[in-house]
Amino acid sequence: MIAALRRHLGIYGAIAAVVPKEYLAYNLWFWAEFVVQILAMIIYVYFWRAVYSGVDRLGGLTLDQTLNYILLARILAPAIESRLIFHFGFLIGQGQVAVELTRPLDLQARYYVQELTGLGVFLLLKLPLLAIAIVFFGLRLPADPAVWLAFLASLALGHAALFCFDWMFACLAFYTTETWGLSMVRVGVAQFFSGALVPLAMLPGWLQQAAAALPFAQAMAVPLGLLSGVTPVSQAPGFWLVQLAWLAGLGLAARLVFAVAVRKVTVQGG
Amino acid sequence: MARYLALYRHFLFQRFKILLEYRVNFIIGMASTVIQQSAWLLTIWVVMRQAPALAGWGLSEVMLVYGLVTLAQSLNHMFADNLWIIGWGYVRSGQFDRFLVRPIDPLFHLLADRFCHDGLGHFATGAVLVGAALVQLQIALTPLTALYLAAAVLSGGVIFFALNLITATTAFWIVESIPITQMVFNMHEFAKYPLTIYHQGIRVLLTWIIPYGFASFYPASYLLGRDVGALAWLGPVVAAVLAVISYRVWQFGLKHYAGTGS
Repeated sequence: MIAALRRHLGIYGAIAAVVPKEYLAYNLWFWAEFVVQILAMIIYVYFWRAVYSGVDRLGGLTLDQTLNYILLARILAPAIESRLIFHFGFLIGQGQVAVELTRPLDLQARYYVQELTGLGVFLLLKLPLLAIAIVFFGLRLPADPAVWLAFLASLALGHAALFCFDWMFACLAFYTTETWGLSMVRVGVAQFFSGALVPLAMLPGWLQQAAAALPFAQAMAVPLGLLSGVTPVSQAPGFWLVQLAWLAGLGLAARLVFAVAVRKVTVQGG
Repeated sequence: MARYLALYRHFLFQRFKILLEYRVNFIIGMASTVIQQSAWLLTIWVVMRQAPALAGWGLSEVMLVYGLVTLAQSLNHMFADNLWIIGWGYVRSGQFDRFLVRPIDPLFHLLADRFCHDGLGHFATGAVLVGAALVQLQIALTPLTALYLAAAVLSGGVIFFALNLITATTAFWIVESIPITQMVFNMHEFAKYPLTIYHQGIRVLLTWIIPYGFASFYPASYLLGRDVGALAWLGPVVAAVLAVISYRVWQFGLKHYAGTGS
């Protein structure tokens, strides 16, 4: 039992260890994302300043609060742009999926380990961007370690819940080949309803309800609300409970959907 | 010229045969771009519902700016999407060598090889936005206005194409050109809003160096009767100059193409 556990930990550890190398192998991609995110920050700062030139508060938020939140959202945004469905499509198209399915370890657990390590590496790589936002765009971060802990716990929970959702969504790749288009739909919907483009407090009631019914905000608006100081840290335990419920529900659903969908797989030799 | 047009028709016909073989995919592909645009539209609507002016521009006026840049981008998306994937799709795999032994221009062959239907969704969104903005702003569509619009969108499309051609040419040296293309292409995000909201330096950049401003802000200003001087008419000239430059860059790159050995 313990030996088996240790063996598993060793395997997943090795998988996790490859992730930083993958990130660092694509130097140019890192710089491209860096430049694109700085551009996005510049645009958003000017945009929101222009918006606030005529009003004091929007959705109860001042300009400083909105900028603080939006700058963080622009930095974190790529972390929730999962294209897992496109990856599934690729595996199925190439027939590679057959190899993946026969490996003696849990496929979903393997991908989760990769995604979680990826999130960690991502956060480390974004530190320079955070510094730029502080120096040039007036981003203010909390000094209280409790806020940081609450943020990290909430991000980890929301990220895990969203991973389960993406796992379920990616199963569509067993039924259609247009996985690039679907991944773009996923990215577009998530951008808006996660609160990466606009603070959710500014949405009209019916859109707020839609955002609450979707899992995207759990990995973006909820943790960033804490980190940006828009929501007080005393509310964090309540958020965690909601996020745990999301995780439990989506985790179960992801298992069931995959078990059914994987039966559709057809590999045509080659 | 006539020969190339006839050839393009053949390529397009074959492409549609492939696309219509998978009808659901065809629809999802088009709808995906519409949904992406909707995220932005919802954002701007949500914000401007409560703060009705952006540096003096109303919602319909901002929609016109956005619609124009979307239309220009859609032309590039439909007819020149292969510039994005030239690196991994053609150079790395050695597919590009195929073009070099055929009796037609390699750039033409690359572009004609894949008409991208996802761009149709962009085109539809842009057309609806521009149409709705014109109606709401009560701008009459006289033959002259229509001509001006067509010239503006075409020039914008050429600007998108030329900038992508320059960055895609780097694939001949570094193979994976997408990050380079992405950095320059993303500058068009600035042109989704009236350039007056930015610092003067950004405006100069978007006018004279990465001239996406001519795809949206300048023609929109002209249609709205906002004075931007001669810049309202300079779009086609800028597009033509940029097209010539980009083709030179492409030819230079082509001369240095050595293949990857795959």
